[in-house]
Amino acid sequence: MNHCTSCQKALEGSWLVCADCGAVQSDSTIDFFQALGHERRFGIDTAALEREFHRLSRRLHPDRFARASAEEQQNSLAATALLNDAWRTLRDPVSRLEYLLKLEGHAVGEEHAGKGKSAERQPPSDLLEEVFELNVQLEELRMSQKMGEAADGAVVKDLAATGVRFESMLQAVDDALAAESAKWDTGAAEARTEAATRMIQLLDRRRYLQNLVRDVHETLGAAA
Amino acid sequence: MAYSDKVVDHYNNPRNVGTLDKSSEEVGTGLVGAPECGDVMRLQIRVNPETQVIEEAKFKTFGCGSAIASSSLATEWVKGKTIAEAMEIKNTDIVKELALPPVKIHCSVLAEDAIRAAIGDWKKKNGVAETVAVAAN
Repeated sequence: MNHCTSCQKALEGSWLVCADCGAVQSDSTIDFFQALGHERRFGIDTAALEREFHRLSRRLHPDRFARASAEEQQNSLAATALLNDAWRTLRDPVSRLEYLLKLEGHAVGEEHAGKGKSAERQPPSDLLEEVFELNVQLEELRMSQKMGEAADGAVVKDLAATGVRFESMLQAVDDALAAESAKWDTGAAEARTEAATRMIQLLDRRRYLQNLVRDVHETLGAAA
Repeated sequence: MAYSDKVVDHYNNPRNVGTLDKSSEEVGTGLVGAPECGDVMRLQIRVNPETQVIEEAKFKTFGCGSAIASSSLATEWVKGKTIAEAMEIKNTDIVKELALPPVKIHCSVLAEDAIRAAIGDWKKKNGVAETVAVAAN
């Protein structure tokens, strides 16, 4: 619960602006969910959130404060910047997932790598084997492209099939992420911890797969 | 971010790139990946069964310059060492040698993991029990 710095009433909805007296708040420590006045959860009605984002954008827009005090102008600028970051982050399911997990104190992403032993976060060995083999294939194809050789039709076809397979693996990961995030949204503390652990693993797997799918498309695009 | 000269050197002239026969009893293979950035690294060692000295080491890494340099350096370092000596190599040694910036420390961790995985694979093949770390004091 946060209170308006101007009228001291409890803030409802977005913590960026007081719904009661209209004062823009200068609290830069609020998180993206608080900025958009949304409960902290994975499942979000993005269309409704977008409407709220637009409403708040208009409400906080610096143009509206052109004749206000320097402090109010500053608050409007800062609040608008925060609101934009919040919407950009929460609109995308994956960045929302990563953000919320970080907010909950979990180590996610590259900047947390190497702080602990990565052994417990090692992806399954079957996936590693596949990833390695695919990279070998990709490299061979790139080499032949560099040498100006015509791409081997069979290799290209093989690679395209691998790309499709990895795309469906990516889809499976996204489905699993959706299932785990629903568990988190509705679960108690223990279920939440479990779901979060699963989601971090899934996100790791997703990053792998996404890079591979991208590499396959890039290489095939160059071969075409 | 600029890479150090040593990273650039290993990146441009990687040492010991290649493949050893995975099915050989004398060869240990370590395949590891960094979930954070999607890098994959394979490090292989050929161990003399009599002396337990690593006589040959090869690597193949798909990843950034730091990951390639870390694994290239790792193969250089393990060559000529015994299994026990190679286990002593720490990722921090690699960080120091290559002057890796903080965001690339995980590349060195990956190289250390790869060495350990390769040694672990060789030990499993040859029925050598995992040595239990004994506290020095």
